[in-house]
Amino acid sequence: MASAFELTRNMTIGQYIPTDSAVHRFDPRFKLVAFGVLVLAIAFCNTYVGNLFALAFCLALFPLIRIPVGYGVSGIKPAVPFIIIIALLQFFFSGSIAPGGTLHFEYGVIRITGDSIRLVIVSAMRFVEVIFLSSVLTFSTSTTDLTRGMECLLSPLEKVKFPVHAFALVLTIAIRFVPTFAMEMEKLMKAQASRGAEFGSGEWWRIIRRTKDMFPLIIPLFNLALTRAEDLILAMESRGYVPGEERSVYTRYRSKGADWGLLGISLALAAVILWLP
Amino acid sequence: MNNRLTVRKIVIAGVLGAISILLGVTRLGFIPVPTAAGNATIMHIPAVIGGILEGWGVGLVIGLIFGVSSFLNATVPLFKDPLVAIIPRLFIGVAAYFTYVGLKRFNQLLAVGLAGFIGSLTNTVLVLLVAVLRGYLSSGVALTIAVTNGIPEAVVSVIVTVAVVGVWKRIGSGRQTSKVSRGVEGEKLDHRRAGD
Repeated sequence: MASAFELTRNMTIGQYIPTDSAVHRFDPRFKLVAFGVLVLAIAFCNTYVGNLFALAFCLALFPLIRIPVGYGVSGIKPAVPFIIIIALLQFFFSGSIAPGGTLHFEYGVIRITGDSIRLVIVSAMRFVEVIFLSSVLTFSTSTTDLTRGMECLLSPLEKVKFPVHAFALVLTIAIRFVPTFAMEMEKLMKAQASRGAEFGSGEWWRIIRRTKDMFPLIIPLFNLALTRAEDLILAMESRGYVPGEERSVYTRYRSKGADWGLLGISLALAAVILWLP
Repeated sequence: MNNRLTVRKIVIAGVLGAISILLGVTRLGFIPVPTAAGNATIMHIPAVIGGILEGWGVGLVIGLIFGVSSFLNATVPLFKDPLVAIIPRLFIGVAAYFTYVGLKRFNQLLAVGLAGFIGSLTNTVLVLLVAVLRGYLSSGVALTIAVTNGIPEAVVSVIVTVAVVGVWKRIGSGRQTSKVSRGVEGEKLDHRRAGD
């Protein structure tokens, strides 16, 4: 029960661990592109061998950024029950939604086909791979670098009057505030629980009751968020922040040979993942 | 509401985007409904609220953040497709904003509630429409999901939107805030300045 209140502990996404490995020193722009290429390759890969290869590769990345594999893998722990439930649902019911493949078993709405078994295994593997890849990216790149990199990558859009800098700032604020709000949420849950509210104790089929339980959390959370937004607006305005003005930056990115090498390697890996039978 | 980019819009979009991500990452934003699509969601509500408070641009950006985070968090193949996960979500805040602006002359609270309702329906209808078009769901299954997930989502959306926006804008309590940059007063000042 106590663990229901600890929202911040299990969030490895967005953590930055400065171990100063070779991966840490790559240009964030190139890391982002490489990440995008690999995620796309994984998203389109439907074979066992391709996914096994991708999984092995993702695991190999952890030693490369000097972070224990065990720590990286622990990031998927909170998602495990969810993966299992979804896998079971897919296992029994996806056959009837998307019929195809050789039929192994049929009873009422339950249809297990060759295709549905593959769908279950492949999508579970894919999910794990994407979690690993994104944790590697965030472990090795600080949020400032990430958003700056994204801003640089999107900068061609400025030609069509798209406010790239403002958009990057929105992302920075959003990522920055997630842990803050998680802490606020914990406080809210404890406050409501100390007044006798119960969370997560209702049976899962009592949907209305469980939904009602959420209102005393969600509504104050929104109000807290808007109050914090007011403070931030005031702080930014009083420091003379003007959106859309020309701004200079502290560090400029300059691409090196190694960065192009990273891009080449990720493209080659993507090709291998997609071409494997 | 003019469409100039302000600090206020940037910050509100960022903060509400953070809530959307938080609800997704902690799984608090899911209402467990036993259907093929898995869960009903309340993660679209920040987009609705952002649209009502700060205009369609802010709603669109929060919708984008919601879409991308649901794409990255997705466990079902349906939402691993960016066409299903991201594109429909862009319109949630936009639809909510236009509903609100169209109706606020008659009754503020009613307009806010309906905006919450329409914003939620936009999410349900567009996601399912794209899912059917891309061949993930048959139209029968999609209709069932629309009823079992869409209706609870819309009801929750209306309640939360009315509660949050109502309190924030002090609708009905007769007290308007005095801050220059906030809400109705700020808008009036903007017009006055523009008229000078």
